[in-house]
Amino acid sequence: MTERREELFEKVREALTNFDVEAAKKATLEAVQMGITAEEIIDVMSEGMELVGKRYESGEYFVPELIMAGETMKEVLEVLRPYMRGEAGGRLGTAVVATVAGDIHDIGKNIFVTLMTIAGFKVIDLGVDVSAEMIVEAVKDSNPNILGLSALLTTNLEQFPIVVEKLKKEGLRDKVKVIVGGATVTEEYAREAGVDGYAKTALAGVDICKGWVREAMS
Amino acid sequence: MTETFDRMMAVYEGREGAGVIFQPRIKHWYDVNLAAGTLPEKYQGLYLDEVYRDLDVTPREVWGSGDAGSEFTGYLTLQTREGDDVEVWVRQTHGLSYETEPHDYVITEYRTPVGMMRQIQRRTEYGTSLYNVEYFLKDLKDIEVYKYVLQERMYRWDRLRYEWGRRRYGDDLPLRVQLPRSPLMWLTVGMMGFERTVLMLWRQRKEMEELMLLLEEEFYKMLDVCKGKPIVELSFGDNMHQDMCSPPLFKKYVIPFYRRVTPKVHEVGMYATSHWDGFVKQLLPLVKETGLDGLECVTPLPQGDVTLEEMKEGMEGMFLRDGIPAVLFCPWISLKTLEEHVRKLLEMFHPRLILGISDLLPANADIERIRFVNKIVKEFNESL
Repeated sequence: MTERREELFEKVREALTNFDVEAAKKATLEAVQMGITAEEIIDVMSEGMELVGKRYESGEYFVPELIMAGETMKEVLEVLRPYMRGEAGGRLGTAVVATVAGDIHDIGKNIFVTLMTIAGFKVIDLGVDVSAEMIVEAVKDSNPNILGLSALLTTNLEQFPIVVEKLKKEGLRDKVKVIVGGATVTEEYAREAGVDGYAKTALAGVDICKGWVREAMS
Repeated sequence: MTETFDRMMAVYEGREGAGVIFQPRIKHWYDVNLAAGTLPEKYQGLYLDEVYRDLDVTPREVWGSGDAGSEFTGYLTLQTREGDDVEVWVRQTHGLSYETEPHDYVITEYRTPVGMMRQIQRRTEYGTSLYNVEYFLKDLKDIEVYKYVLQERMYRWDRLRYEWGRRRYGDDLPLRVQLPRSPLMWLTVGMMGFERTVLMLWRQRKEMEELMLLLEEEFYKMLDVCKGKPIVELSFGDNMHQDMCSPPLFKKYVIPFYRRVTPKVHEVGMYATSHWDGFVKQLLPLVKETGLDGLECVTPLPQGDVTLEEMKEGMEGMFLRDGIPAVLFCPWISLKTLEEHVRKLLEMFHPRLILGISDLLPANADIERIRFVNKIVKEFNESL
């Protein structure tokens, strides 16, 4: 029984890392039929996604592979949904992410969202061109540990301090860590904007967020 | 032929001894400040090329199927002619082209005998750009409609606009025609969106590859129209970025495309270039395999992800247009940083450099920095 269980877990991990949707679904259903809980299978899938994340970090995989792995996981979660007791994801906490008002660039933001999900965060993606008011509302509603803001156009970098001010006004600033990114953002600019972190790449951004979680746990 | 024209030609030909041309793109800065009412007093009421003249720098001509991003929108020389039974409907739901409103969309529909495809876009704050809320191609059914549109589509040389532009700028600027993105980027950026392109390439590879080959045919149609015209450069508007076009995809689709197309461009005596304005560190080592003659807008650190040394190494034998990260024109970056960057760029890339901004002058940039850079360029040219 234990051997078969491990064998199925390995199949799930392998199917995820090779983007084999049908194999992943088949192994998942077999596991459920054996009495393994949906939550245990989701943990195994997270391990598979971590492996995908590592391959991305090492340069073996690229963003398209992250998307395919994410899509594979999404389809398997659909199979598991009837067996689940709650919502999946979020073992490291919640992050609200947005490209700020006036800016429509979303490549970096989307990669950050994918990598954060793989890392184990529940991510609420507000999309692009999101006003400071909507961002603060989302923080109020979802109580995240992390707020990620992105901008490319230099004119829209001004939104970072505006969001920070609004968070302060609402008494939310101390409850959430704010990280910013985008090609034209510099470390100096981020510091002056009053945020907690800045990352040149999505990958570096996720590392900073994971560091904050570790810090909070210890 | 003016000195400016000759200097530009020297870059294409790899000729030594000519001075550097500074050709910054300022249309975005101009458009936003015009719409916002924040143009400097002395530029109010001036046309864009009069601002260029005041700054004593060379405008960037884009003659081709360019649109709102072109420096001189309207002076196009390639016109698209849709098939007789293809109807194109465009409608903006609320605001004006330069003043958007909430829930304001630009809806474009192609209605054909084999079905309809629709795109929904929103304008950015001052209408200088559009972004997609809904892309034209959402599934295989849309692809069939698009294939019909492409098969029926023709291109025409716009004689009148060409003649007008030649009179106004022709003495100073070798003619450059803007072409669409290479097929993979055409789909990724313009027609499907990144995620859908990746997923459809994964799940419907055959249909996607057929579509890309059909898109390639469009370039041959355009090339046929350009043949025999006084065009010096054909520029592919790729917006290359390694996160959208990973090295494996670049090798599988982009390199083979360019290897088929660039010899045809060279056969008709023109140079081929591509617009690379994203993160490109992983792609630069592969660019030589494309056969392209030059790259536009490669963006070094601190805005892009490559050093000037990496650019130089990756682009060996090619010319560079632009090279100054746009953020260096913003007031919070020191003039010293800007100056050091420009001097190093000139030293490293001349004589294969048309100096410019990677990519556009930001709306909140200090316009006087254009004059500052121009002074450095003049000093450099005098020292030659």
